[in-house]
Amino acid sequence: MSIVWMQTCALFVDAYRELNARKLFWIALVLNALVVAVIGALGIDEKGVTIIVWHLEMPGVTSALFPPEQFYHTLFASFGVGFWLAWISTILALLSTATIFPELVTGGVDTLVSKPISRHRLYLTKFATGLLFTLAQVLVFTTLSFFVLGIRGGVWSIGLFIAVPIMLIFYSYLFCMMAVVGSLTRSVLASVIVTLLFWVFVWAVHVGEQFTLLGQTVQRVEISAIERRLGNAQTLDGRAPLEVDLSEANDSLGVWRPIHLSLYALKTALPKASETIQLLNRSLKDIADVPTADEEEMGDGAVAGRGFLGSKYARRRDVEAAVRSEMSTRPLWWVIGTSLAFEAALLGFGAWRFSRRDF
Amino acid sequence: MAVASDSKSMDHALDLTLVDKIYAGGVHALRGISMRVAKGEIFGLLGPNGPGKSTLVKVVTTIVRPTRVEGTVLGHAIGHMPTLGRIGYLPEHHRFPAYLTGRQCVEFFGAMTGVEKKQRQRRVSELLDTVGMLAWADKRLGTYSKGMQQRIGIASAMVNDPELVILDEPTDGVDPVGRREIRDVLLQIRARGTTVFLNSHLLSEIELVCDRVAIMVQGRVAKQGSIEELTRDSHCVRVVFSGDRPAWAAEAGGVAVMDRGRHALDFPKATSESVQPVLDRLRIEGRILHSFGEVRESLEALFMREVTDPTSGRARPIGAEAGR
Repeated sequence: MSIVWMQTCALFVDAYRELNARKLFWIALVLNALVVAVIGALGIDEKGVTIIVWHLEMPGVTSALFPPEQFYHTLFASFGVGFWLAWISTILALLSTATIFPELVTGGVDTLVSKPISRHRLYLTKFATGLLFTLAQVLVFTTLSFFVLGIRGGVWSIGLFIAVPIMLIFYSYLFCMMAVVGSLTRSVLASVIVTLLFWVFVWAVHVGEQFTLLGQTVQRVEISAIERRLGNAQTLDGRAPLEVDLSEANDSLGVWRPIHLSLYALKTALPKASETIQLLNRSLKDIADVPTADEEEMGDGAVAGRGFLGSKYARRRDVEAAVRSEMSTRPLWWVIGTSLAFEAALLGFGAWRFSRRDF
Repeated sequence: MAVASDSKSMDHALDLTLVDKIYAGGVHALRGISMRVAKGEIFGLLGPNGPGKSTLVKVVTTIVRPTRVEGTVLGHAIGHMPTLGRIGYLPEHHRFPAYLTGRQCVEFFGAMTGVEKKQRQRRVSELLDTVGMLAWADKRLGTYSKGMQQRIGIASAMVNDPELVILDEPTDGVDPVGRREIRDVLLQIRARGTTVFLNSHLLSEIELVCDRVAIMVQGRVAKQGSIEELTRDSHCVRVVFSGDRPAWAAEAGGVAVMDRGRHALDFPKATSESVQPVLDRLRIEGRILHSFGEVRESLEALFMREVTDPTSGRARPIGAEAGR
């Protein structure tokens, strides 16, 4: 066995032992199992929802409207992935792994860097071992969900396990920030706070970009709608107000577009946490045939009305379809690739600082 | 990495010249250190707190990046990665993970230095036995006393069967019985042919086990050599007796001193033969002789002389100097 492989194995085994010794690791695992148990305890029949042996009559939620497999898929996608894994489980993982890098640079670093292992490799391997926590949590959650969906929903969908690599990638976006801040400041508290602020910042940029995309799309749909009407207008009196509206819509588009472009550029440089979760939803739909949260929101809630977001002619359904179309055209390399490029750059900086440092 | 071509380097486990380290804050921790440690010896580095002893050790083990360094470790340039696998190191304030057992800890460091699994398992048991920790091997480090952790640290530093083992304050926090046991372990290590570089401020410990020593003061090596060489100039013959001090003592070349409450005369650079007339005269004058023999300056006295400012007569300021 080569020394590189031996050292890598030793660091991973050590990381496992460290996790094993932490109560929070086991608490989080039990919580994951409990969440899946709650999903499994829920059921659906022709009258409504069942909770173990109790029945709740809900005419809007029956097996006639939602077949059991779709019911469990929806629970897994929207609650399991969208809420539990993307938020609660991620926060638990951040708290559990926050000590890894501050402890590395304050505790046993001298015994490790004096061994025949390059500092870059030590740093990056430590980073990889930090992902073990999330791997264990997501693996347990997905495996249990797989059995719940199989037993209760009657669908044995191996595609559910796509959640494991995607959630690992999602968590790595945040953990790289935690690793770098933790190794630079040697402070657990600072690394947690900066990582949470970074997450909020990434989320705020995402929300801003989505909002400006919506604003820009409204104007585009508005312009198309006006242009269609102009084509149909027969009289000069009928065209005049439309031309005024068209001019206003073009002016408005001229305001929205540069703001959106700026935010889009900023977002391109940052990890795309929300898009990665949406990518998971899309992947689940493609691979495991799980309906996405987007579709559910877009279903009955999409009102085919006029005057959406202050526009006169753009229909909500058309705007939302245009936004959804734009989102779906964003390629995988953009969502994952640019996010991993950010991660690589940040980790590269962290590893470089680590390699230049005196301990 | 360059392999040292100098044949003298090949005879030395450690051959350093002109090692300098200026920390980012401007502290000049090492000022042109030159040092040679022969293969198979126990070499003691001693000095007061903060003269750069640990910095020097950390430069050798690549934990601290030197500002300037020339020389070799085990025949290779400092930082040569495979050579690090031939070195064992116990840091001063080590913090081994509390969640590991003693056995797991030693095994972990064995794997990190590239010891194959079967060989590692065998060596771990042997070493735990050597340091007297076999009975505690499967208990977690968090339950160990400081002395027990030091023993595990020594076993961890030895797991790769190193050619050079560097121990930074190995008896720090260890009780007298434990210190003696650790000293015995060091002698066992030397008996295997391993070079031991011992960094300590405990003079008695150094004096008892080291073949050669270096005294560091304010980032420089003040003295270097065997204890015999370093104290040769202080060699004298001491005569201890009861009764009043003879008036002719100075005339005979004796220096009056006290030895455990008794009068004594020291005769610098004398031999047992050359002081026989003095013994005769003391006896004739009715004084009772208690002992006579060759003595030399203790390491402590030598050390104190080196760390004391001759102009003020007080100890030099602690620590390496800031700036130039």
